[in-house]
Amino acid sequence: MTPRGRFLVASLSGLVLAGLVHGTTILLIPRLAESDALSRARSGENLDHPLAINTVAAGDTTPPVEAWLPIPDPAVAVGLCAYDLSEGPMRVSARTGALMLSLAVHGPRGAFYAVTDQAAVRGALDLVVLTRAQYDEALANADEDEVSHDVRIVAGDTRGFVVVRVIAALPSQRAAADAAVQAVSCTVDSPGDEKAGG
Amino acid sequence: MRMTFAETVARLRPDQTRTRSSESLSREAGPVSETGGRVTRALRHGVRKASTVTLILYALALGAGLGLATADYATRGGYLFGGVRVGAWTAWPKVGSLGADPYARAVNARRGEIPLAIGEGMLLTAEQDESGRQLDAACTYRVAGVTPPARAWTVTVAGRGSRVSDSAPMREGFTATEILREADGQFVITLSPEVQPGNWLPMPRAKGPVRLALRLYDTPVAASAGSLDRSAVPAITRTGCAV
Repeated sequence: MTPRGRFLVASLSGLVLAGLVHGTTILLIPRLAESDALSRARSGENLDHPLAINTVAAGDTTPPVEAWLPIPDPAVAVGLCAYDLSEGPMRVSARTGALMLSLAVHGPRGAFYAVTDQAAVRGALDLVVLTRAQYDEALANADEDEVSHDVRIVAGDTRGFVVVRVIAALPSQRAAADAAVQAVSCTVDSPGDEKAGG
Repeated sequence: MRMTFAETVARLRPDQTRTRSSESLSREAGPVSETGGRVTRALRHGVRKASTVTLILYALALGAGLGLATADYATRGGYLFGGVRVGAWTAWPKVGSLGADPYARAVNARRGEIPLAIGEGMLLTAEQDESGRQLDAACTYRVAGVTPPARAWTVTVAGRGSRVSDSAPMREGFTATEILREADGQFVITLSPEVQPGNWLPMPRAKGPVRLALRLYDTPVAASAGSLDRSAVPAITRTGCAV
Protein backbone atom coordinates (compact mmCIF):
# COMPACT_ATOMS: atom_id res chain seq x y z
CA MET A 1 0.00 0.00 0.00
CA THR A 2 1.26 3.43 -0.83
CA PRO A 3 2.01 5.82 2.04
CA ARG A 4 -0.83 8.04 0.92
CA GLY A 5 -3.23 5.11 0.91
CA ARG A 6 -2.18 4.21 4.43
CA PHE A 7 -2.81 7.77 5.53
CA LEU A 8 -6.27 7.75 3.93
CA VAL A 9 -7.17 4.50 5.65
CA ALA A 10 -6.01 5.96 8.98
CA SER A 11 -8.09 9.11 8.40
CA LEU A 12 -11.18 7.13 7.48
CA SER A 13 -10.89 4.88 10.50
CA GLY A 14 -10.40 8.01 12.60
CA LEU A 15 -13.70 9.41 11.25
CA VAL A 16 -15.54 6.15 11.92
CA LEU A 17 -14.09 6.19 15.41
CA ALA A 18 -15.26 9.79 15.84
CA GLY A 19 -18.80 8.70 14.99
CA LEU A 20 -18.65 5.93 17.55
CA VAL A 21 -17.22 8.25 20.22
CA HIS A 22 -19.90 10.85 19.42
CA GLY A 23 -22.77 8.38 19.75
CA THR A 24 -21.42 6.80 22.91
CA THR A 25 -20.85 10.20 24.52
CA ILE A 26 -24.39 11.35 23.75
CA LEU A 27 -25.83 8.16 25.22
CA LEU A 28 -23.58 8.31 28.29
CA ILE A 29 -24.16 11.98 29.18
CA PRO A 30 -27.50 11.38 30.99
CA ARG A 31 -25.96 8.56 33.01
CA LEU A 32 -22.77 10.35 33.96
CA ALA A 33 -24.14 13.86 34.45
CA GLU A 34 -23.70 15.22 37.96
CA SER A 35 -25.87 18.31 37.74
CA ASP A 36 -28.96 16.76 36.18
CA ALA A 37 -32.31 16.76 37.92
CA LEU A 38 -32.07 13.17 39.14
CA SER A 39 -28.67 13.66 40.79
CA ARG A 40 -29.77 16.93 42.33
CA ALA A 41 -32.95 15.37 43.64
CA ARG A 42 -31.01 12.52 45.21
CA SER A 43 -28.64 14.91 46.94
CA GLY A 44 -31.51 16.69 48.66
CA GLU A 45 -31.61 16.20 52.41
CA ASN A 46 -35.25 17.02 52.98
CA LEU A 47 -36.83 13.60 53.14
CA ASP A 48 -40.54 14.14 53.51
CA HIS A 49 -41.06 17.24 51.44
CA PRO A 50 -39.98 18.29 47.95
CA LEU A 51 -36.58 19.85 47.43
CA ALA A 52 -37.22 23.38 46.17
CA ILE A 53 -35.67 23.77 42.74
CA ASN A 54 -37.25 27.02 41.69
CA THR A 55 -38.86 29.35 44.18
CA VAL A 56 -40.79 32.31 42.87
CA ALA A 57 -41.32 34.51 45.91
CA ALA A 58 -40.07 38.07 45.60
CA GLY A 59 -36.55 38.74 46.76
CA ASP A 60 -35.19 35.47 45.46
CA THR A 61 -32.54 35.76 42.82
CA THR A 62 -32.84 33.13 40.16
CA PRO A 63 -29.62 31.26 39.37
CA PRO A 64 -27.78 32.51 36.30
CA VAL A 65 -28.48 30.73 33.07
CA GLU A 66 -25.59 29.72 30.90
CA ALA A 67 -26.91 28.04 27.82
CA TRP A 68 -29.50 28.62 25.18
CA LEU A 69 -32.49 27.04 26.83
CA PRO A 70 -35.30 29.15 28.25
CA ILE A 71 -34.90 30.40 31.78
CA PRO A 72 -36.96 28.73 34.49
CA ASP A 73 -40.51 29.93 34.41
CA PRO A 74 -40.62 32.91 36.81
CA ALA A 75 -44.25 32.18 37.68
CA VAL A 76 -43.93 28.50 38.53
CA ALA A 77 -42.59 27.06 41.77
CA VAL A 78 -40.88 23.71 41.23
CA GLY A 79 -40.02 21.03 43.77
CA LEU A 80 -38.45 17.60 43.42
CA CYS A 81 -38.90 14.38 45.39
CA ALA A 82 -36.40 11.63 44.64
CA TYR A 83 -37.57 8.07 45.06
CA ASP A 84 -35.83 4.73 45.34
CA LEU A 85 -38.42 2.00 45.10
CA SER A 86 -36.13 -0.62 46.59
CA GLU A 87 -36.96 1.00 49.93
CA GLY A 88 -40.68 0.66 49.29
CA PRO A 89 -43.38 2.38 47.27
CA MET A 90 -43.32 6.17 47.16
CA ARG A 91 -46.44 8.03 48.24
CA VAL A 92 -46.89 11.63 47.13
CA SER A 93 -49.79 13.39 48.84
CA ALA A 94 -50.95 16.81 47.78
CA ARG A 95 -53.86 18.89 48.97
CA THR A 96 -55.29 21.06 46.24
CA GLY A 97 -55.80 24.74 46.86
CA ALA A 98 -56.56 27.78 44.81
CA LEU A 99 -53.40 27.41 42.73
CA MET A 100 -52.94 25.02 39.86
CA LEU A 101 -50.73 22.09 40.79
CA SER A 102 -49.27 19.31 38.70
CA LEU A 103 -47.26 16.21 39.52
CA ALA A 104 -45.04 14.47 36.99
CA VAL A 105 -43.19 11.20 37.55
CA HIS A 106 -39.79 11.03 35.86
CA GLY A 107 -37.62 7.95 35.46
CA PRO A 108 -34.01 8.01 34.30
CA ARG A 109 -35.23 8.00 30.68
CA GLY A 110 -37.87 10.70 30.93
CA ALA A 111 -41.29 11.46 32.32
CA PHE A 112 -43.78 8.63 32.15
CA TYR A 113 -46.77 9.98 34.03
CA ALA A 114 -48.24 13.34 34.83
CA VAL A 115 -51.39 14.35 36.65
CA THR A 116 -52.84 17.72 37.58
CA ASP A 117 -55.02 18.77 40.49
CA GLN A 118 -58.09 18.27 38.31
CA ALA A 119 -57.78 14.56 39.05
CA ALA A 120 -58.04 15.19 42.79
CA VAL A 121 -60.78 13.49 44.76
CA ARG A 122 -62.26 15.72 47.49
CA GLY A 123 -59.30 18.03 47.42
CA ALA A 124 -56.69 15.32 47.84
CA LEU A 125 -54.36 13.85 45.29
CA ASP A 126 -52.55 10.68 46.33
CA LEU A 127 -50.01 9.27 43.94
CA VAL A 128 -48.27 5.98 44.72
CA VAL A 129 -45.26 5.06 42.60
CA LEU A 130 -44.37 1.37 42.80
CA THR A 131 -42.64 -1.41 40.95
CA ARG A 132 -44.54 -4.19 39.20
CA ALA A 133 -43.92 -6.58 42.14
CA GLN A 134 -45.08 -4.03 44.70
CA TYR A 135 -48.16 -3.32 42.58
CA ASP A 136 -49.10 -6.99 42.49
CA GLU A 137 -48.57 -7.22 46.22
CA ALA A 138 -50.76 -4.18 46.85
CA LEU A 139 -53.50 -5.68 44.66
CA ALA A 140 -53.33 -9.00 46.50
CA ASN A 141 -53.50 -7.33 49.90
CA ALA A 142 -56.24 -4.90 48.97
CA ASP A 143 -59.49 -5.06 50.87
CA GLU A 144 -62.30 -5.34 48.33
CA ASP A 145 -64.80 -3.40 50.43
CA GLU A 146 -62.53 -0.45 50.76
CA VAL A 147 -62.38 2.19 48.08
CA SER A 148 -58.89 3.50 47.50
CA HIS A 149 -58.38 6.96 46.08
CA ASP A 150 -54.72 6.31 45.39
CA VAL A 151 -53.48 6.74 41.86
CA ARG A 152 -51.10 3.82 41.42
CA ILE A 153 -48.30 4.22 38.91
CA VAL A 154 -46.02 1.35 37.96
CA ALA A 155 -42.48 2.58 37.35
CA GLY A 156 -40.11 0.80 35.01
CA ASP A 157 -36.99 1.73 36.97
CA THR A 158 -36.50 1.76 40.71
CA ARG A 159 -34.99 5.24 40.75
CA GLY A 160 -36.48 8.49 39.64
CA PHE A 161 -38.10 11.64 40.91
CA VAL A 162 -41.48 13.31 41.16
CA VAL A 163 -41.74 16.93 40.04
CA VAL A 164 -44.22 19.21 41.79
CA ARG A 165 -45.16 22.37 39.92
CA VAL A 166 -47.42 25.08 41.30
CA ILE A 167 -48.32 28.03 39.11
CA ALA A 168 -48.63 31.49 40.62
CA ALA A 169 -50.87 33.28 38.18
CA LEU A 170 -50.36 36.63 39.94
CA PRO A 171 -47.25 37.96 41.69
CA SER A 172 -49.22 38.13 44.93
CA GLN A 173 -49.69 34.36 44.84
CA ARG A 174 -45.99 33.56 44.62
CA ALA A 175 -45.41 33.02 48.33
CA ALA A 176 -48.46 30.76 48.41
CA ALA A 177 -47.07 28.80 45.46
CA ASP A 178 -43.78 28.18 47.27
CA ALA A 179 -45.71 27.11 50.35
CA ALA A 180 -47.93 24.80 48.30
CA VAL A 181 -44.86 23.01 46.93
CA GLN A 182 -43.49 22.54 50.43
CA ALA A 183 -46.88 21.31 51.67
CA VAL A 184 -46.73 18.29 49.40
CA SER A 185 -45.48 15.24 51.28
CA CYS A 186 -43.35 12.49 49.77
CA THR A 187 -43.08 9.45 52.01
CA VAL A 188 -42.03 5.85 51.64
CA ASP A 189 -44.96 3.51 52.09
CA SER A 190 -43.86 0.61 54.25
CA PRO A 191 -46.09 -2.47 54.42
CA GLY A 192 -46.44 -2.05 58.19
CA ASP A 193 -47.85 1.42 57.81
CA GLU A 194 -50.37 0.24 55.30
CA LYS A 195 -51.74 -2.40 57.66
CA ALA A 196 -51.83 0.02 60.57
CA GLY A 197 -53.62 2.58 58.48
CA GLY A 198 -56.28 0.03 57.64
CA MET B 1 37.18 -2.83 -5.52
CA ARG B 2 36.59 -0.74 -2.51
CA MET B 3 33.35 1.12 -2.06
CA THR B 4 32.93 4.26 -0.03
CA PHE B 5 30.63 4.17 2.95
CA ALA B 6 28.06 6.33 1.22
CA GLU B 7 27.94 4.10 -1.78
CA THR B 8 27.30 1.07 0.41
CA VAL B 9 24.47 2.81 2.17
CA ALA B 10 23.02 3.88 -1.16
CA ARG B 11 23.08 0.37 -2.49
CA LEU B 12 21.56 -1.11 0.64
CA ARG B 13 18.75 1.43 0.96
CA PRO B 14 17.77 2.35 -2.57
CA ASP B 15 14.25 3.58 -1.68
CA GLN B 16 15.39 6.25 0.70
CA THR B 17 18.05 7.52 -1.57
CA ARG B 18 15.55 7.80 -4.38
CA THR B 19 13.04 9.71 -2.30
CA ARG B 20 15.71 11.96 -0.94
CA SER B 21 16.94 12.77 -4.40
CA SER B 22 13.41 13.45 -5.70
CA GLU B 23 12.82 15.65 -2.69
CA SER B 24 15.90 17.65 -3.35
CA LEU B 25 14.74 18.06 -6.93
CA SER B 26 11.33 19.37 -5.84
CA ARG B 27 13.00 21.63 -3.33
CA GLU B 28 14.99 23.19 -6.04
CA ALA B 29 11.90 23.59 -8.25
CA GLY B 30 9.48 25.02 -5.65
CA PRO B 31 9.69 28.35 -3.84
CA VAL B 32 11.68 27.60 -0.73
CA SER B 33 10.98 30.73 1.26
CA GLU B 34 7.22 30.22 1.67
CA THR B 35 6.24 28.95 5.11
CA GLY B 36 3.02 27.40 3.80
CA GLY B 37 4.93 25.39 1.26
CA ARG B 38 7.35 24.27 3.91
CA VAL B 39 4.51 23.15 6.19
CA THR B 40 2.82 21.25 3.36
CA ARG B 41 6.10 19.61 2.50
CA ALA B 42 6.69 18.68 6.11
CA LEU B 43 3.19 17.18 6.29
CA ARG B 44 3.72 15.31 3.04
CA HIS B 45 7.01 14.08 4.38
CA GLY B 46 5.33 13.00 7.60
CA VAL B 47 2.61 11.13 5.71
CA ARG B 48 5.18 9.34 3.62
CA LYS B 49 7.43 8.47 6.53
CA ALA B 50 4.77 7.75 9.14
CA SER B 51 5.09 4.40 10.82
CA THR B 52 2.08 2.19 11.53
CA VAL B 53 2.15 3.19 15.18
CA THR B 54 2.04 6.87 14.28
CA LEU B 55 -0.89 6.28 11.95
CA ILE B 56 -2.82 4.36 14.61
CA LEU B 57 -2.16 7.10 17.14
CA TYR B 58 -3.28 9.67 14.59
CA ALA B 59 -6.53 7.77 13.92
CA LEU B 60 -7.23 7.44 17.66
CA ALA B 61 -6.59 11.11 18.30
CA LEU B 62 -8.75 12.13 15.36
CA GLY B 63 -11.59 9.88 16.52
CA ALA B 64 -11.50 10.97 20.14
CA GLY B 65 -11.06 14.67 19.41
CA LEU B 66 -13.66 14.95 16.69
CA GLY B 67 -16.16 12.69 18.48
CA LEU B 68 -15.98 14.55 21.79
CA ALA B 69 -16.01 17.97 20.14
CA THR B 70 -19.11 17.23 18.07
CA ALA B 71 -20.88 15.64 21.06
CA ASP B 72 -20.13 18.74 23.12
CA TYR B 73 -21.36 21.02 20.35
CA ALA B 74 -24.58 19.05 19.86
CA THR B 75 -25.56 19.15 23.53
CA ARG B 76 -24.27 22.58 24.52
CA GLY B 77 -27.20 24.65 23.28
CA GLY B 78 -30.87 23.94 22.88
CA TYR B 79 -32.67 20.89 21.57
CA LEU B 80 -31.68 19.69 18.11
CA PHE B 81 -34.49 17.39 17.00
CA GLY B 82 -38.13 16.81 17.78
CA GLY B 83 -39.41 20.35 17.27
CA VAL B 84 -42.65 21.10 15.43
CA ARG B 85 -42.74 24.44 13.62
CA VAL B 86 -45.93 26.46 14.15
CA GLY B 87 -45.62 29.91 12.62
CA ALA B 88 -42.69 31.64 14.30
CA TRP B 89 -42.78 29.16 17.17
CA THR B 90 -41.32 25.72 17.62
CA ALA B 91 -43.26 23.32 19.82
CA TRP B 92 -41.33 20.70 21.81
CA PRO B 93 -43.97 18.15 22.79
CA LYS B 94 -41.72 15.16 23.37
CA VAL B 95 -38.55 16.47 25.05
CA GLY B 96 -39.75 15.41 28.49
CA SER B 97 -41.32 12.08 27.62
CA LEU B 98 -39.96 8.57 27.35
CA GLY B 99 -39.95 9.07 23.59
CA ALA B 100 -37.39 11.88 23.81
CA ASP B 101 -34.42 11.45 21.48
CA PRO B 102 -30.95 10.85 23.02
CA TYR B 103 -29.85 14.38 22.16
CA ALA B 104 -32.75 15.96 24.05
CA ARG B 105 -32.02 13.71 27.02
CA ALA B 106 -28.35 14.66 26.96
CA VAL B 107 -29.23 18.37 26.75
CA ASN B 108 -31.62 18.01 29.71
CA ALA B 109 -29.01 16.15 31.74
CA ARG B 110 -26.27 18.69 31.04
CA ARG B 111 -28.48 21.63 31.87
CA GLY B 112 -30.26 20.08 34.82
CA GLU B 113 -33.44 21.00 32.99
CA ILE B 114 -36.72 19.43 34.09
CA PRO B 115 -38.82 19.33 30.94
CA LEU B 116 -42.59 19.43 30.97
CA ALA B 117 -44.16 15.99 30.65
CA ILE B 118 -46.95 15.23 28.20
CA GLY B 119 -50.12 15.76 30.22
CA GLU B 120 -48.43 18.40 32.32
CA GLY B 121 -47.82 20.98 29.63
CA MET B 122 -45.89 21.91 26.55
CA LEU B 123 -43.04 24.28 25.75
CA LEU B 124 -42.92 26.45 22.65
CA THR B 125 -39.93 28.59 21.82
CA ALA B 126 -39.31 31.33 19.27
CA GLU B 127 -35.99 32.78 18.24
CA GLN B 128 -37.16 34.35 14.98
CA ASP B 129 -40.01 36.67 14.02
CA GLU B 130 -42.64 35.91 11.39
CA SER B 131 -40.34 36.92 8.54
CA GLY B 132 -37.53 34.68 9.74
CA ARG B 133 -35.24 37.32 11.25
CA GLN B 134 -33.45 36.61 14.52
CA LEU B 135 -35.10 38.24 17.55
CA ASP B 136 -32.79 41.09 18.50
CA ALA B 137 -32.66 42.90 21.83
CA ALA B 138 -32.36 46.27 20.11
CA CYS B 139 -35.68 45.92 18.28
CA THR B 140 -39.32 46.24 19.23
CA TYR B 141 -41.70 43.34 18.61
CA ARG B 142 -45.43 42.90 18.76
CA VAL B 143 -46.51 39.50 20.07
CA ALA B 144 -50.23 39.35 19.41
CA GLY B 145 -53.04 36.88 19.03
CA VAL B 146 -54.34 33.94 21.01
CA THR B 147 -52.72 30.88 22.53
CA PRO B 148 -53.73 27.24 22.08
CA PRO B 149 -56.25 26.05 24.68
CA ALA B 150 -54.62 25.58 28.08
CA ARG B 151 -55.57 26.02 31.72
CA ALA B 152 -52.71 28.42 32.21
CA TRP B 153 -49.85 29.76 30.15
CA THR B 154 -46.82 31.98 30.57
CA VAL B 155 -44.71 33.90 28.08
CA THR B 156 -41.09 34.48 29.09
CA VAL B 157 -38.21 36.27 27.40
CA ALA B 158 -34.57 35.28 27.89
CA GLY B 159 -31.24 36.30 26.47
CA ARG B 160 -28.34 34.09 25.62
CA GLY B 161 -25.49 33.55 28.04
CA SER B 162 -25.21 34.53 31.66
CA ARG B 163 -27.20 37.40 33.02
CA VAL B 164 -25.33 40.70 32.86
CA SER B 165 -26.56 42.51 35.93
CA ASP B 166 -26.94 41.06 39.41
CA SER B 167 -30.36 42.54 40.03
CA ALA B 168 -33.38 40.58 38.89
CA PRO B 169 -35.12 42.10 35.88
CA MET B 170 -38.28 44.07 36.49
CA ARG B 171 -40.38 41.66 34.47
CA GLU B 172 -39.42 38.47 32.67
CA GLY B 173 -42.82 37.36 31.47
CA PHE B 174 -46.58 37.39 31.61
CA THR B 175 -49.05 34.81 32.82
CA ALA B 176 -52.47 34.22 31.31
CA THR B 177 -54.14 35.77 34.35
CA GLU B 178 -52.22 39.00 34.63
CA ILE B 179 -52.13 39.98 30.97
CA LEU B 180 -54.33 42.84 29.69
CA ARG B 181 -56.64 41.73 26.90
CA GLU B 182 -58.58 43.40 24.12
CA ALA B 183 -62.38 43.28 24.06
CA ASP B 184 -62.32 40.18 21.84
CA GLY B 185 -60.07 38.24 24.21
CA GLN B 186 -56.92 38.66 22.16
CA PHE B 187 -53.79 40.16 23.66
CA VAL B 188 -50.88 42.25 22.46
CA ILE B 189 -47.50 42.06 24.18
CA THR B 190 -44.94 44.68 23.23
CA LEU B 191 -41.43 43.35 23.60
CA SER B 192 -39.22 46.40 23.58
CA PRO B 193 -36.17 47.96 25.22
CA GLU B 194 -38.22 51.19 25.60
CA VAL B 195 -41.14 51.72 27.96
CA GLN B 196 -44.42 50.95 26.21
CA PRO B 197 -48.11 51.28 27.11
CA GLY B 198 -50.16 48.11 27.58
CA ASN B 199 -48.39 44.79 28.10
CA TRP B 200 -44.76 45.87 28.04
CA LEU B 201 -42.19 43.11 28.27
CA PRO B 202 -38.75 44.69 28.73
CA MET B 203 -35.80 43.29 26.83
CA PRO B 204 -33.64 41.21 29.20
CA ARG B 205 -30.40 42.68 27.87
CA ALA B 206 -29.07 45.63 25.94
CA LYS B 207 -28.02 43.80 22.79
CA GLY B 208 -27.70 40.39 21.24
CA PRO B 209 -30.20 37.68 20.35
CA VAL B 210 -33.13 36.90 22.63
CA ARG B 211 -35.60 34.05 22.75
CA LEU B 212 -39.24 33.77 23.74
CA ALA B 213 -40.69 30.79 25.56
CA LEU B 214 -44.41 30.07 25.69
CA ARG B 215 -45.35 27.42 28.21
CA LEU B 216 -48.82 25.90 28.11
CA TYR B 217 -49.88 24.15 31.31
CA ASP B 218 -52.44 21.36 31.39
CA THR B 219 -53.13 21.54 27.70
CA PRO B 220 -54.70 18.98 25.37
CA VAL B 221 -52.43 20.27 22.60
CA ALA B 222 -49.31 18.37 23.72
CA ALA B 223 -50.61 15.10 22.34
CA SER B 224 -51.30 16.59 18.91
CA ALA B 225 -48.72 19.30 18.41
CA GLY B 226 -48.48 18.54 14.71
CA SER B 227 -52.04 19.69 14.08
CA LEU B 228 -51.48 23.14 15.59
CA ASP B 229 -52.31 25.96 13.22
CA ARG B 230 -50.31 29.13 12.75
CA SER B 231 -53.37 31.18 13.76
CA ALA B 232 -53.53 29.36 17.11
CA VAL B 233 -50.25 30.84 18.35
CA PRO B 234 -49.34 34.51 18.84
CA ALA B 235 -47.76 36.19 15.83
CA ILE B 236 -44.39 37.89 16.37
CA THR B 237 -43.87 40.95 14.17
CA ARG B 238 -41.02 43.42 14.24
CA THR B 239 -42.24 46.99 14.44
CA GLY B 240 -38.96 48.86 14.58
CA CYS B 241 -35.33 48.80 15.48
CA ALA B 242 -33.08 51.22 17.31
CA VAL B 243 -30.01 51.81 15.21
